[in-house]
Amino acid sequence: MRNPRDVLKKPIVSERSMGLMEQNKYSFYVEPKANKIEIKNAVEELFKVTVTGVNTMNVKGKAKRVGKHTGRTSDRKKAIVTLKQGDKIEIMEGM
Amino acid sequence: MKVNMEKIEKNMVALEIEVEQSKLEEAMEKAYKKIVKKVSIPGFRKGKAPRVLVENHVGKDYINEEALDFVVPEAYFEAIKETEIEPIDKPKVDIVQLEDGKPFIFKATVEVKPEVELGEYIGIEVERKEDLITDADVEAELERLRNRHAQLVNIEEGASEEKDTVVIDFEGFVDDVAFQGGTGTDYSLELGSGTFIPGFEEQVVGAKVGEVRDVNVKFPEDYHSTELAGKDAVFKVTVKGIKRKELADLDDEFAKDVSEFETLEELKNDIMNRLKEAAGKQAAARVKDELVEKVVENSSVEVPDIMVDQKVDNMLQSFSQRLGMQGLSLEDYLKHTNNDIDTVRSEYRSSAEKAVRVDLILEAIAAKENIEAAEEEVDTKVAEMAKNYNSEPDVFKQWLESGGNLEPLKKSIVIDKTVELLEEKAVVK
Repeated sequence: MRNPRDVLKKPIVSERSMGLMEQNKYSFYVEPKANKIEIKNAVEELFKVTVTGVNTMNVKGKAKRVGKHTGRTSDRKKAIVTLKQGDKIEIMEGM
Repeated sequence: MKVNMEKIEKNMVALEIEVEQSKLEEAMEKAYKKIVKKVSIPGFRKGKAPRVLVENHVGKDYINEEALDFVVPEAYFEAIKETEIEPIDKPKVDIVQLEDGKPFIFKATVEVKPEVELGEYIGIEVERKEDLITDADVEAELERLRNRHAQLVNIEEGASEEKDTVVIDFEGFVDDVAFQGGTGTDYSLELGSGTFIPGFEEQVVGAKVGEVRDVNVKFPEDYHSTELAGKDAVFKVTVKGIKRKELADLDDEFAKDVSEFETLEELKNDIMNRLKEAAGKQAAARVKDELVEKVVENSSVEVPDIMVDQKVDNMLQSFSQRLGMQGLSLEDYLKHTNNDIDTVRSEYRSSAEKAVRVDLILEAIAAKENIEAAEEEVDTKVAEMAKNYNSEPDVFKQWLESGGNLEPLKKSIVIDKTVELLEEKAVVK
């Protein structure tokens, strides 16, 4: 069992994520190895809310190059968590 | 909005202005909308970031500051209207309270028009001094006319006299070396006109046609060319011709030539009338000047420096405009006269001070006597000016209005009317 603080890495702050909040959906970058159940538990425990659904997606890191050296940015996993109606994560409101 | 006016010292007024919170909020929203277009926050396109994020990104203070730019001027002008003060300077703004959820309070300190202590201005005694026009004045005017219409007659024989115009070639030497600008050919020089350096013209007097003379002169110490100033010079002058003014006889013939009158008597009468009219106008102007001066003397007002400075600015501006008409810029002029802007300013200062003082006092009288510029009076004046500028009165008026020049015009009408009132009530001796 992973620690909830290790599952959720950071919130996603973008135009899209702000828009989704209106539908009571909150977006996070999460630990790529974590599964939906772990994510659900982590959010419920940390923010004391009820999660009704979790959607996840893996984002492959981008190839970056500096001069002749090529490299990659790290792979990430995004999770969009839907909360029960009426629930809210206050600190993410208007972040 | 609430305004609290407080006089702190002479001519200084502090306004404590309280702006409702909703107004402040409105301004902050406006400020956010302005800022959001400029900041780029990762994850958002420009102009799309939510307000809270922008606030965190640029700092709340920045938004506040921008908001103040919207809310302060508006509130300040409203406050001026409400308190009916007449500021003459930009206000100094101090923020008293600026917190979320509370009304915004700021203090604006500004210098206002000084209060004028009016002295006596009704029944001022002035003396009307009109220059008496005598026959001698008419004679002098006639003489001028004669001179103007005189004909130059070539003189072949005899020597040149004072007042003759001689045609000369000249070549100047300093220490036997010709210097630049010291030569000329076929130059018409009126003897005694003072065109050349002192001593030159006198030494040509008495020369005959064809005569070559050496003229010894000393350049004055303050001559504009430093190389020549104070030096002795010899001019070799060849007189090529002498012209003498032939004055016409004063008779009816002359009158016909120079005027539309038939006889000399009529011309004389006309000159007399014109001179009298001019003297009358001058006397009237003098009465006005004296009257205003006396009224100003009776009243007292402390003229604020800032108004004097503004007046000086105005004067400089119109001066440079006049220079511009001659194709000069103020910089050129300053360079030419070896002046800098500060000395010119200080030269203007005393007259500016006086002008401001007169304006202030006359305005105060106008206010006390309820003198205002009526719409028709403004229109007549505008029409007059439009005529001068070859423009339609309506168009011209709009142009004045858009340039903010209608107010000064109204003011000048009020001032004129005030002076008229002073004149009416004055005792002219």
